[in-house]
Amino acid sequence: MNFELGDAARDALARSESRSDSALQARILVVEDDADISALLGRELRGLGHTVDAVRLAEDALQAARGNDYALMIIDLGLPDGDGLDLVREMRRRAIEVPILMLTARRKVEDRVIGLSSGADDYLVKPFAVPEVRARVSALLRRPSRLRGNRLAIANLVVDCDALEAVVEGVSLPLAFKQFQLLELLVRRKNHMTPKRMIEETLYGFDDEVSANSIEAHVSKLRRALRSAGAGATIETRRGIGYRLVGLGAAAPN
Amino acid sequence: MPQPAPTADDLALLDPDGRFRGRLAEDRARIAALVRPSPAKAQLAELQRVVHQLAGAAGTFGFAEIGDLAVALDDALLAGVDSTDTAPLFHDLLAALARA
Repeated sequence: MNFELGDAARDALARSESRSDSALQARILVVEDDADISALLGRELRGLGHTVDAVRLAEDALQAARGNDYALMIIDLGLPDGDGLDLVREMRRRAIEVPILMLTARRKVEDRVIGLSSGADDYLVKPFAVPEVRARVSALLRRPSRLRGNRLAIANLVVDCDALEAVVEGVSLPLAFKQFQLLELLVRRKNHMTPKRMIEETLYGFDDEVSANSIEAHVSKLRRALRSAGAGATIETRRGIGYRLVGLGAAAPN
Repeated sequence: MPQPAPTADDLALLDPDGRFRGRLAEDRARIAALVRPSPAKAQLAELQRVVHQLAGAAGTFGFAEIGDLAVALDDALLAGVDSTDTAPLFHDLLAALARA
């Protein structure tokens, strides 16, 4: 074998691959114009139990990312219809916060630095060893979702947790800090019910006084702000349980 | 130290249907047809594309010697090295491709 692993590395890889955590059976997008490399990656990743979609153009990658919830993307730097770096930047601009592993034949340190600065999470130089790809994919898929990004999105609503700003089609929502915290929590848990107790724990410290209807009041104001901004998402209430942020098309009838 | 060419076990894992080996033969024919003392701009661009892809793929499939030569050529072509100076590298690459 050209890429030989020591016993310790082989054992570590076997342990990592046999772990039955959420990293298994992920949906992965491979963006690679070299048909042989793409087929090799697809075969290896499917062999690990993942679902793999493969495209060769940046344009197809953007379309695939719009319609699917990927856990990871592997993007080649040199694509026939554009630079992979531009694709990564465009993904990040659209608040697509999926971990991205960049693949490239460019070997210089500055190329790697530019790749990571453009928004990629990891960088692998071709030629690569298949066991290394497997290990890097597993590592990226094991990252807690909280660390995966600070720009969150649902429908046309983008929440920038670093800038503390929520934007709908370029217009910033006038939110108080507690409402922003509430929105961030709901977007991170989008499509899942968020218990009222969890919201209280996120918005208030142990010593804060929380009035009986304060959460309802924040939800009501946030709901109004979303509606008047034309956000394509709404907050559903499940009485006695909590709240859920969903895209308007997916909202349950009241 | 990597071996210059993949073993049968490597190929069974990395190239089970022999597709990549078929591509090496096509790349060899393509490169041989494009190499000229003073290639036209379009020919040079196509040559760069083939060599660049080979530089990324050959080593991944276990063809270390071809990969190393393609990497050296890729760097030379990118740096605009004169065709007289790249000729020996092309000669070695075509020979390695013929052995694959």
